[in-house]
Amino acid sequence: MDILTFLAQGFAVALEPQHLFLALIGCALGTLIGALPGLGPVNGVALMIPLTFNFGLTPTAALILLVSIYYGCMYGGRISSILLNIPGDEPAMMTTLDGYPMALKGRGGEALGLSGVASFIGATVATIGLTLFAPLLVGFAIRFGPAEYFALFVLAFATIGGVTSGSLTKSFIAACLGLLLGTVGIDAVSSVPRYTFGWFELYDGIDFIVALVGLFAISECLVFLENTQHGSKPTMKLGSAIPGMRSAWQCSPTIARSSLIGFISGVLPGAGAALGSFLSYTLEKRWLGKRGDFGRGDPRGVAAPEAGNNAAAGGALIPMLSLGIPGSGTTAILLALLLSMNITPGPLLFAQQPEMVWGLVAALFIGNVMLLVLNIPLVGFFAKVLQAPGWFLMPMVVMVAFVGVYSLSNSAFDLYLMLAFGVLGYVLRKLEIPTVPVVLGLLLGGQMEYNMRRAMSISGGDWSILWNSGISIGIYAFAITLIVAGLVFSWMVKQRA
Amino acid sequence: MNESGMESLRTSGVVGDRIAGTVLAVLAAGAWWHSHSFATGFMQPVGPGAFPRLVSVPLGLLALYLILRPGFNQRWPHRAALLRQVGALMLLGGYSAFLEPWGFLPASLVTVIVLIRLFGAPWKQSLVSGAILTVGLYALFEFALGMPLPNMPGLSW
Repeated sequence: MDILTFLAQGFAVALEPQHLFLALIGCALGTLIGALPGLGPVNGVALMIPLTFNFGLTPTAALILLVSIYYGCMYGGRISSILLNIPGDEPAMMTTLDGYPMALKGRGGEALGLSGVASFIGATVATIGLTLFAPLLVGFAIRFGPAEYFALFVLAFATIGGVTSGSLTKSFIAACLGLLLGTVGIDAVSSVPRYTFGWFELYDGIDFIVALVGLFAISECLVFLENTQHGSKPTMKLGSAIPGMRSAWQCSPTIARSSLIGFISGVLPGAGAALGSFLSYTLEKRWLGKRGDFGRGDPRGVAAPEAGNNAAAGGALIPMLSLGIPGSGTTAILLALLLSMNITPGPLLFAQQPEMVWGLVAALFIGNVMLLVLNIPLVGFFAKVLQAPGWFLMPMVVMVAFVGVYSLSNSAFDLYLMLAFGVLGYVLRKLEIPTVPVVLGLLLGGQMEYNMRRAMSISGGDWSILWNSGISIGIYAFAITLIVAGLVFSWMVKQRA
Repeated sequence: MNESGMESLRTSGVVGDRIAGTVLAVLAAGAWWHSHSFATGFMQPVGPGAFPRLVSVPLGLLALYLILRPGFNQRWPHRAALLRQVGALMLLGGYSAFLEPWGFLPASLVTVIVLIRLFGAPWKQSLVSGAILTVGLYALFEFALGMPLPNMPGLSW
């Protein structure tokens, strides 16, 4: 039972007092950032990644801090989806359906408490599932050569289109754009500068953290500048979070069913958390039929998508850690976070750095416990953040972005680059071209190219090596299946709307 | 914020998508063309230009498809909003340039005050909140987090 030993070790590390403290700080900070109106979880994590590099932490400690911020941001995003009806990310959309009506009835606190408990249970189910399924992948990993890795990256980009709702064409365009931007800089194999146009600042390539902060945080500010309103926001009666515990008990069958559904949809690469919360909400609605009051503030309508969402996010760790394929925008951010710490997810990670994998799993779990402990009593305080005016928050976000990016390399060039990415992100958003695939292209492009060129040098320049093995054919077939499934799924959603 | 809901903010993307498609198609063609100037090293079956070419083909094709079948766009900003955005970008560009020579405190103070004003607060509020925000962030970054910030010339501790 190697895995249990590693998991126990991971927990032992995560439970050290310093790490627990960091987890607490991370969760509190993350919740605050995630709850900032208009900022949302993905932007929040993107903003925090460069800052955490400056704390001089050990890799494990930094990982725990970032993961806690990630979890905190996700939870903070839920506060704005439930209380303001503004979902911070895609999976949170289903939560607004019953969460906001609950808040209107003065049961916002209860909804938030319930969401905390439901997410906790969903994440726990996913952690157990991860422990059970991961060993299967370790044996599988040994058969991967460079050509198979290349196929895997194609799969990653094929499936990200199925997730980010909207036009498939546009998400593929975004991915290609990201891959092309990823080739900027000196080529590692031949030392030839590519697309640098004589700018020596670009020789190291585009730092994806600079791109990330620009594409998300800066472009968010530009969106915010469109409609500035000066005035106070309506306050809402929150109510206590304590009844959330009781309604969680009443919803326990719902939570159990939704966790299972969420986990299964999370494991499918490319499906991810959005599908998890969508499926668990609609299936639960159908299961309960007339016994439910969905859409008008039924607590089960909050419990189902929250449990499903978090179980899916945990389940999505399986394709993310083992194949390097992130399932959703937020998992993509988690991938960026890991890559920024020099942890490269992929088939070899489980075999070569098991302590890292299980340390991460333990950190995620601890983060979840922390959130539960932190948020049930403090939900009222966090909800206050929503009342902070945009004219104060957004300049703060800009300052944090500037200081974070500046501290990476102490160069003004990176700041200009960040602004340029901010404009790019803004224009892409207006065009409804998703920005997450751009970041993914930047993140994964180097590895993808490296594997392609290694495969080519093995075959002596014969391109057919890329589709000559059973595994790569299987992966391509799977990618095509998922694209078709994604098209059918989005067609079904359109029919329903 | 966006009380009117996201759905009503969508417009037809015929113009926007076609412009974007054209720009991207030109970009793809340029990337393809430029990649031929990357010298292939000795004993390499594929050179540094192969991967950019491999990516620029689908990018170009998808861009052409976008020109033929444009989709939807979010509503583009009005003139006043556009002016604010351009103003903010120029301000932040200036901030990037002056951060090092001026030091964090003075450069940020000016930037934050103007930025808050751009976000819609009146002057008095901008001055007060801007000063509080700048000093607060400075204390946070410099002392609490120990991050190296550019100091004012002639002033260091």
